[in-house]
Formats: sequence, C-alpha cells, structure tokens
Amino acid sequence: MGAVIERQELHDAAQKAFPADALKPNRDESWKLVTEMGWLMLSLAEDAGGLGLGRDSAAAIHYEMGKALGTAPLIPAMATVQAIGAATDLADQAGWIERVTTGEFVTTNLSAGDVTGDGDALSGTLPAVPDADMASHVMLANPGRAALVPLDAPGVTVTERPLWDESRRLFDVTPGGYAPDPALVRATGGAAGALPRRLKGEMIFALAADSLGGANTILDLTVEYLKTRKQFDRPLGMFQALQHRCADLKVLIGAAEALLWSRAMQPDATMAEIGGLKAHATEVYRWVCEEAIQLHGGVGLTEEMYCHLFMKRANLNVQLGGNADLWRELVGREALAAAE
Amino acid sequence: MSEQTDLDQLRSQVRAWLDANKPRDWRALSRTQDDFVKTQRDWFQKLVKAGYAIPHWPAKWPGGGRSLAEQKVIYEEIARADCPRLLLSFVSTYHAFATLHECGTPEQQDHYLPRILEGETWCQGFSEPNAGSDLASLKCKAERKGDVYVVNGQKIWSTMAQFADRCLLLVRTSSDGPKQAGITYLLMDMKSPGVTVRPIHQIQGDEEFAEIFLDNVEIPVSERVGEEGAGWAVANATLASERGLTLMELSYRMRGAAWRIAELIRKNGREEDAGVLRDFGKLVTQLDVATAIADQFLENRIKGIEGAGDASIVKNTYARALRDYSLLGLRLGGLDEQYVKPITFGDLNTGNWMADFMNSYAWTIAGGSDEVQRKIIAEKMLGMPKEPKGWVL
Repeated sequence: MGAVIERQELHDAAQKAFPADALKPNRDESWKLVTEMGWLMLSLAEDAGGLGLGRDSAAAIHYEMGKALGTAPLIPAMATVQAIGAATDLADQAGWIERVTTGEFVTTNLSAGDVTGDGDALSGTLPAVPDADMASHVMLANPGRAALVPLDAPGVTVTERPLWDESRRLFDVTPGGYAPDPALVRATGGAAGALPRRLKGEMIFALAADSLGGANTILDLTVEYLKTRKQFDRPLGMFQALQHRCADLKVLIGAAEALLWSRAMQPDATMAEIGGLKAHATEVYRWVCEEAIQLHGGVGLTEEMYCHLFMKRANLNVQLGGNADLWRELVGREALAAAE
Repeated sequence: MSEQTDLDQLRSQVRAWLDANKPRDWRALSRTQDDFVKTQRDWFQKLVKAGYAIPHWPAKWPGGGRSLAEQKVIYEEIARADCPRLLLSFVSTYHAFATLHECGTPEQQDHYLPRILEGETWCQGFSEPNAGSDLASLKCKAERKGDVYVVNGQKIWSTMAQFADRCLLLVRTSSDGPKQAGITYLLMDMKSPGVTVRPIHQIQGDEEFAEIFLDNVEIPVSERVGEEGAGWAVANATLASERGLTLMELSYRMRGAAWRIAELIRKNGREEDAGVLRDFGKLVTQLDVATAIADQFLENRIKGIEGAGDASIVKNTYARALRDYSLLGLRLGGLDEQYVKPITFGDLNTGNWMADFMNSYAWTIAGGSDEVQRKIIAEKMLGMPKEPKGWVL
C-alpha cells in the first residue's frame, strides 16, 4: 500500500490553494502552485514514481478547480502524465516522467481531430488543445498511434482560438507534414489503441468533476445574492417561487455528485458509464448557470458579475470530450444490448 | 475488513435463499387487490420464518438485531431478485414497531409486537381532508370520558387501511395553545364499533389508499402512546424510522426495470433511431443517479453523517426519475398504451405505461410532496430565509 490520502484531505488542500472567492486565478502562478503541490503525481502509477491514487483523487482536484474556475491546464496535464507513466516503451521514459511532474507541460486535444499520416508526415488539425502556448509537446493519441509532437518542430503551427470562456485557452495545432520522431512514438497498433480511450476516459471524468464543482459555487453565490438583495421590503430569497427553483438545482447537483463519487470508486467503469456521467454532469452545470443568470436578474447579464464566467465555462464543458448527444446515444445503445 | 466479509457472507446467504424461495410469478397472480394481498401475506410469512422480515428489530426477535449496513444488503438483494414489495406490512414492521418500541409501554409492546410477526397489519391514521402538508392542523377529535377516548372525525390517504387490523391514530385532544401541543397518539382496533373504511378509487384502477370515518369510536386510555398532548412528538420520533431503505429498494427496482424500455424500443423497431437511443441513454443515467444518491444516503446514515435535507434530495430525485421512466415508456409505447390493459398491483415499474405514469404521482405527493421537500432543502440546506408566519389574507 502506498501513501493513503483521504479524498477529503485533497479537497481541503485544494480549497486552501485555490479558494472559491478568488475566481479565475492567474494561470502561470497556478501552474507553478499545482506543480509544487505534487498534484501531477497523484494518478501517476506507483512504479513510475507517483502516488498511484485512484480516479477519485484526481476528481477531487478537478472538482475544486471547477469551484474556483481554475485556469491551470490540469485536465490534459494529469491525463498525459498518467499516459507517459504507462508508456514503458517510450525512449527515456524516466526522464520524461521527471520532466512532466516538475513543470514541463505536455498537452493533448480535448476534441476529436482529423490528424492522419501513416508513420510519416502528419496532416490535418488537432482542435481544442489547451494551453499549447506553455506546452513543450502535444500528445497525439489517435487510434493506432500515440506520439509526442514537439510544438516547436518545423512545420508545426499553433494558433490560439479565442474562447467565450475566459478561464481557459484553447489552440488549434496543425502538424503541417511533421513526421514523428520514432523515439517519441509510444507504440503503434494494439497497445496504442487503448491509449486514446484511457486518455479520453480520464479527461471526460475530469470534466464531469469540474462541472459539478462549478455548479456548486454558482448555486452558492446565487443563494447568497438572493439572501442579500431586497425587493418589496424583503430579501428575494424569502419568496417561495425562488426558493423552490434553488432547491431543485440543489437536488440536481447533490444527486449528480453521488454518481460522480460512486463512479470514481469504480475503476472498471465503462466508457459509456463515464460518458453518461459526463453528459449528465455538464448538462446539470449548464442548467444551473442558466437559472443563476435569471435568478440574478439584470445584474446577471453584466460583465462585472460572476455569472457569465460560470455560464461560459459550463457551455464549453458541454462540448469538450464529446457532447451529450454522443454519449447518451452510446449509453442507450449499450443498455439496449445489455437488455438482450 | 472482517465487517465487509460478514456483509458479503450475508449477501450470498440471502441470495441463495431468495433463489430457492422467491415467488416467481407474483405479477401474474396479483391482478386483483385481494390476490395481491394474499401474495404479500404469504411472502411476509416466508420472510419472517427465514429471518429476513424484520432485520431492524432488536436481536431478541427472530432475524432482528441487524445493523443498518446488513439491512441494506437484505433490501438490495430482495430488490434485485424482483420479489413482491411488502406494501401491506410496511406500516406494521416500521412505523408501528418504531412507535411501540420507542414510546410504547411494556404491556403494549408485549401485546402487539408478536402479533405483527403473526401477520397482524397496521395502517396510519394521520392525514385528514383538511390536514395534508399541514398535518399539525388535524381536527379528528378525541374526548376523554372515564377510561376511554371517544373519537369523531375523518382520516384519509391511509395505505391499505381496508385490510388493516389496527391503526396508528393521531387525534386532537385540545385546541388550546400551539396546534402541535393538542395532538395525542392512540392505537385503534379497526373492528371497533363506529369505524367505517372506504377505499379510494384511484385513477389507474388501484385502491391502495382508504378513507377512515370515525363515529363515536371508543378507544381505551390504555391504548394511548405517550402522554396526552405528546402525539406530535411521538409521531415525529418514529416517522423516519425507515429513512432511506424504501427509496434505495425502489431505486434498485427501477434501475432493474430499464429492460422494459429496451423491450419497447425493439418491439417498435427503433433500435437504430439515434433520437430514441439518446432519450433511453439519458434515462439510464438518470436511473443510475437515483440509485447512487439513495445508496450514498444510506451509507452516510450508516456512518452517522446524515445531514438535514439529505433525505429530501433522495426523494425528489427518485420521484422525478420515476416520472421520467414512465413518460418515456408512454411515449415510445404510442397509441397502444391508450388501450386499457390489466394492471399489476404493488409494483411501480410494470410496463403498463399509463398505469405506471399515474402511479408515479404517489411519489411526488405522498410522504411529503415535492414542494414540501423543496421548502426543507431551501431552508435547511441552503439557509434561505423563512417566510414570515401568520399571513393575513
């Protein structure tokens, strides 16, 4: 048994480092802090020098980052560190592990790309690559090939795509004919085939955790606002019409969290099960944000108020890693097959 | 670790016993209320003999003395095995037991508890036509005359009262002071002169509830639980005794019944209809959410960390999922579901989609309506300000 860290300790530590009353902290300072806190080691396998903790530990951190609208690219980072830790056939794996757990950032795409190229020149575009400006490499994990592409290699271009979500940065990466260095290709064929699924599973789980963390904060802020804002000589929060809407949001969040933490303890959860959770959690987040703006009234539409920050992040979460249409169809298909 | 081993052992024991003993065709045999009552009586007796009927009673009773974690295992297995629900003995083994055990006299306990195991059933006489969500405003009046209370009034929404031998009755013994302070708790024999029971015909053809009319019914003072005027406290102390177990059982049953929707999709040849698959997938995750929150609630109770309002989240989540389950079936079933089909008693996920839809309202209304739960959540969990009391219209 390795170090046993209770999930609650991680929540506490993350809340201290990234309090929810300091929303959208500076990205570069955040990255330094998360490296110092050792969070990149949490899910790294023990024999690779990490803590080998389960999905629930990573989820605790992503949940807290969601609460504070965290800006450090922890979702791709924790996934790529895990992948590198599992890539025993990667040249100088130990060196890679050392680098990516002490501050070097390897990013990866959060949406399916169309990059092709059979061993030689890669073409196409890798969309939704977080924080490529601060990354050394992008991990390309198409079925059949897992490769680390240096972002400063000749031909590779990195283009920022400005987002509505102000708490995140996404880039398009085009390999532009770059041929992967054989030493940086983890594997081709079977072994690499499992990698994209695994990466994706970790990232969509993280998006679910991020979403429910964010949903919690925006509901708390909304309830606080309704307690202080007075109309008709009483706090708005005294009106039952508004109380019931807040209660419904609380029910949605509380119940979705139960599924999050139960699936977090289920290492053999299928892609459909994780995807179904992701679809549900992101839709809950999106709906809580939609209601939050309405419950704030006009001030909810102003830039100085926080509502829009959550609403924009929620809408992005809905799309990253596959949206609800995709995952629900898969869940439906598998449940249909299971009931054969 | 050994605690987990014990639970695993209990689970295999229960599973093996259920495999050998569970009623297999109870749905087909429960097409009338009377048949369903017989199904339940037989099943209850089997469970009593096997030691699985009253795991929450003290250890001196057969099969009693089980921890909440063990009770959870038994309920999970019974739900997974798709056995009949014990609607008929529910009030007896939970509310009547808890009331007698926690607040009854030794004489009352000795008299009534063994009879519950022999099959005597209880109903609850709480709600009244004008006291629903506002239960404390009840008016059923009891006047003390010597050694008896003389009771006049009406009760409603009493589950299975038409089959009950006894009734847990809340009456008003005083109109002075706060409305809660004038309530007294009595144990009533349903065969007492002056008691009339009228089943309530529900919209789906079921008669799960009844009205009870009380016309100069005499109840001996020895049948009072707690002091005169302490009835509200007695009721509150014992109402929540099964908190969480029922909803966990029902959530598991609902999750286990997802195949009924799959069957409908196949029957209608919609297996490749992406829209239908998405709706089904959305529902399946919703059912997973309902089981996860019911599970988590019980786990928290086992650990002793239940919070105010937690139970309300479980209830509203289950109720919404149950409604949505029936609505999807109803939609996919099409016109066919508008033709009357026989109903199955005692089950909420029957595949008779109109009946299931109508039945689903029981869970958004009974046991504290969705709206009552929302108020609890808003005030106790979110700390939103209470409405001022005493509105004047």
